[in-house]
Amino acid sequence: MTSTHTNSHTEAAKMEQVITEFFYKSLLIILESRSSYVSSRNYSGEQTVSSPSSSSSSSSSVRPRDKWFNLALRECPSALENLDLCRRSNFEPVVVDVILEQKPLDWGPASFSPTSDLVRNLSSKNKNSYFWNSDQQDESGSEMKCEKIIERWFVQHESRKGRDCNSGNRRSSCNNLSALYKKLILMLRSLYVTVRLLPAYNIFRDLNSSGLICSFKLVPRVSSFVEPLTRKEEVDMQRFWFTPVDTSCGRLCLSVLYHSSISDMSSESSTPMSPQFIPDYVGSPLADPLRRFPSLPVSHGSPSSLPFSRRHSWSYDHYKASPPLVSFSPSPTHSESNALVSNPSSLGLPPMSLPPHPPETSLAHKRNTNFDEYCPSPNFSASPSPSPSPSLPIYIPRTHLSKALLRSESAPVNIAAPKLANTPALSGKQNLPPCPPLKITRAGTSRTDNIRVPAETDATIEKIFSFGKEDCWKYSGVKAFSNSSPRISCSRSSSRSLQDDFDYSEFPCPFDVEDGEMMDPGSRKSQDAAVGALVRLLKKAPPLRQNVSLNFSEASRPEILSNSIPKQSQILEAVTVEYAAAPNIASFRLVASKTTTDALEELRGYKVMKNLLLSEGGKAYTSNVASAAEHSSTSKGT
Amino acid sequence: MNCEVCQLKELEVEHFEIREVLRCILHTIVFHRALGLVRPKDVDLELFEITYVQCGDVELEKKIDEKIDHFISWVEKHPNKKSQICLSFYEVKSKQPSWFTNKTERLYWEQWYINLNVTQHPKHHSSKSHHTKLVVDPGESATEERSSRRAMVEASLREVLFQIIKFVNEKKDHVPPISEGVIYFPYEITIPSSSDSAFGMDMIKRMLHSGHPTMLS
Repeated sequence: MTSTHTNSHTEAAKMEQVITEFFYKSLLIILESRSSYVSSRNYSGEQTVSSPSSSSSSSSSVRPRDKWFNLALRECPSALENLDLCRRSNFEPVVVDVILEQKPLDWGPASFSPTSDLVRNLSSKNKNSYFWNSDQQDESGSEMKCEKIIERWFVQHESRKGRDCNSGNRRSSCNNLSALYKKLILMLRSLYVTVRLLPAYNIFRDLNSSGLICSFKLVPRVSSFVEPLTRKEEVDMQRFWFTPVDTSCGRLCLSVLYHSSISDMSSESSTPMSPQFIPDYVGSPLADPLRRFPSLPVSHGSPSSLPFSRRHSWSYDHYKASPPLVSFSPSPTHSESNALVSNPSSLGLPPMSLPPHPPETSLAHKRNTNFDEYCPSPNFSASPSPSPSPSLPIYIPRTHLSKALLRSESAPVNIAAPKLANTPALSGKQNLPPCPPLKITRAGTSRTDNIRVPAETDATIEKIFSFGKEDCWKYSGVKAFSNSSPRISCSRSSSRSLQDDFDYSEFPCPFDVEDGEMMDPGSRKSQDAAVGALVRLLKKAPPLRQNVSLNFSEASRPEILSNSIPKQSQILEAVTVEYAAAPNIASFRLVASKTTTDALEELRGYKVMKNLLLSEGGKAYTSNVASAAEHSSTSKGT
Repeated sequence: MNCEVCQLKELEVEHFEIREVLRCILHTIVFHRALGLVRPKDVDLELFEITYVQCGDVELEKKIDEKIDHFISWVEKHPNKKSQICLSFYEVKSKQPSWFTNKTERLYWEQWYINLNVTQHPKHHSSKSHHTKLVVDPGESATEERSSRRAMVEASLREVLFQIIKFVNEKKDHVPPISEGVIYFPYEITIPSSSDSAFGMDMIKRMLHSGHPTMLS
C-alpha cells in the first residue's frame, strides 16, 4: 500500500516534471528563434559530430536541461526569465506574443536590446488600426512606435476534470510516461521545424544575421494572460494546431496564430537601405530655383569639355540633364531584403539624408556659419587628394565627408579681397586667388594657407580691386569657383584675418547665402573658365615691375653700382632679382607681397641706411687709409 | 503494427532544384524520426527562403547525399519523367532462418513517398531564335516567369513540409519505442532504378521482408 502510494506519487511527480519541462522546452524553442541573441541556430553550427556511438559520451558537453526530450538547445535568457511561469503546479497557460516593432526615430542602443522584455500592452484604442498600431504614442508623445503582434503561441495543459490523475497501476503509469515522453518528443520536433517555417522566422534570421541597423525588431512577450486579439487582427491571421498529447490528467495543447502576410509586409518596406535618388531635395534646381549671378566669361565652349567640371546639383539646369546625386544614407551591405526598409519616411531615418552635393558643398549647406573659415579653392575639385572623379554620382560616407571637410579646412583660398590693396596694415601674409596654371599644393608649402603672388601683380591686383564693385566680382573669378563657400575666406594662418578687414556689407558677395538659400546654379562657372578669365586679366594688367623697377632704378641703381658694402648690395640685388624674376605667370614664386607704398617706403629706408653706412664706411676708409699711410711712413722712417 | 504511408504532394522541380528540394524533405522527415539526443542544425536553402533542420549527423548527411546523387543520375537518364523516392523506416526483427528469407527481417512501420516531376523548361528557346527580330524584351518576361515559378515551387515545398509536420503530429502511436543509444530509426531510401523491372523487384523484396503487401495509396 505504502509502496503503491509512493510509486504513484513518484509517477505523478515525474509526470508533473515532464509537463513542466515540456512547457519550458516549448518556450525555449519559440523564444530562441524569435529573440535576437545567440540562438541554437548558431549553437548548432558549432556542434561536433554526433554519432550513435558518441551519444552517450556527449552527455558531458550537454547541460542537464538540454537533454530533455533529446533536443539539445542552448539556454535562452528570455526563457530562463520565464522559468517560474513554467513551474507553476497548476500549469497555467503560457502565451508568447511575438511583436514586430518598428521604431522610426529612436536609433538609440536601447532600441535593439535583445531582451524579451518588453513592450507595454497595447492600449485598447489602438487595436483597431490596421496592421501597424501607428497611432500609438508614448505617454509623453515623444516618439512613434509601431508594433504588431505577428504571432501568438499558446502552450497549455488542459486538465481533465472528474478523474483521478494518479489512478492506475504502476506498469500502466510507466508505459504512459514513456509513451507520453515519446509523443512529446515528436511534438517538440515538429514545433522546432514549424517555428522555422513561419514567416516571422525569416525576419528573425535576417535581423540576426545582417547585424545592420534596422528599425524593426522582434520582441517576444511571455505572459499568462493576454487580451484577446480583435476580430480584425485575427482575420488576417492563421492558426496552426499541434495535435494535443494526452497526459494522465489532461492534455497538452500547443497552437499558434500567425500572420501569413508578414513577409509581404516586410518585403514592401524592407528593401535594402541603399542609396536612393532624391529628386526634390532641398536646394535642387527643381525644388528651389536659385539665384543667378552675373556670369563670368566662359573660356571653354561646352561645359562638358571642362575637365574639372563637376555635376553639382545646381549645375543641372546648365548642363545636360543628369540624375541627381545619391542621397547620403547608410547603405547596408546585406543583400537580404526582408528585414530592411526601403522607404526612408517609413523607416523614419534620422536626418542623415543630405542634399546630394559634393562633400564640401553639402556641408556648406549645413554649416553656413562656419564657412567663413573655409574657402574651397578652384583647385579643390582637382585636389591633390586621390579622390574619385568629381563627375561621378557620389555616395558619400561620413568618413569621406569629414576628410573632405578637413581638406577644405586646411587650405582655404581667398578668392578675392576687394579691400586688400587699401589695407595698410597688411604687411604680412596676404592671400590672393591662385592662378589656374599654378600648381598650388597645400602640402608642398610650409605655410599651406598662404598663397603668394609676385609683387608685380600687386599693381594688377590693385587695378582689379579698383574696379567697380560689380567688375570686381566679375573679374575676380569668385563666381567661377563653383564651390559652395558662401563667403570669401581668408588664410587661417595669417596673423590677421582678412575677413576682419573686409566690410562685407560693401561688397555683395555672391556666395553670401542666407538661411536656406543656395546659389544660383547658373552663376557658377567652371573653374577653368574663371581661372582663365583671371589669367587674361592679369596679363592685361600693367606689370608691377614698371613701378617697382622704376622705383628701384631711382633708389637703388646708383647704390647698386657704387655700393661697396656687399651686404647691402646683396639685399638690393635680391630684391631686384625677386621682383624681376616673375614676368612669367607660370613661374611665379610665391613671396610675401607688400603693397607698393610699403615697398617704396622700405626702399627709402634702405637708401637712407645705405647712405649712412657709406658715409661711415667712407670715413672709416679714409681714416684707415690715413692710418695706413701714417704707419708706413712711420715704419719707413724707422 | 501497421505501416503508415504518407504520399506527399507532387512537386514540379527543375533539374538544378532537385538536390535542395530532396535534401530539405528527406532531412525534415528524418529529423522527426531521430528521437535520440540530437543537436539540431539549421540549414538555409539557397534557392528558396526556407530553413530546414538536420539532425547534425554527418554519416546520415552523407548517405542522403549519396542517394540524391543516384537519383539525379537516374533523372538525367530519364528526363521529363515523374519519379518517386521512398523513405522507409523499419524495425529489424530476428526471424527463423529459412530457405527464402534471411535471419532478420525488416518491419516497415512507416513509408514516405516523395513525388517529383522533374521538368526542363525551354529557357534557351529565346536565345536560339536569333532570326526572330520581333522579340519584345524577352529578358524581363523570362525573369518574371522564372521568379514566379520559383515562388510557386517554394510555396509547394512549404506545403509539403507542413504536410510532413501534420502527419507526424497526427500519427504517433505507430512509432516504435526509443532505443537507448540510438539517434534515429533505421531507414531506407529507395529511388527508381534504371529499369522498371528492377524497380518492381525492389517492391517484391520489400513485400517479402515486410510480410504484407505494401499499401500504395
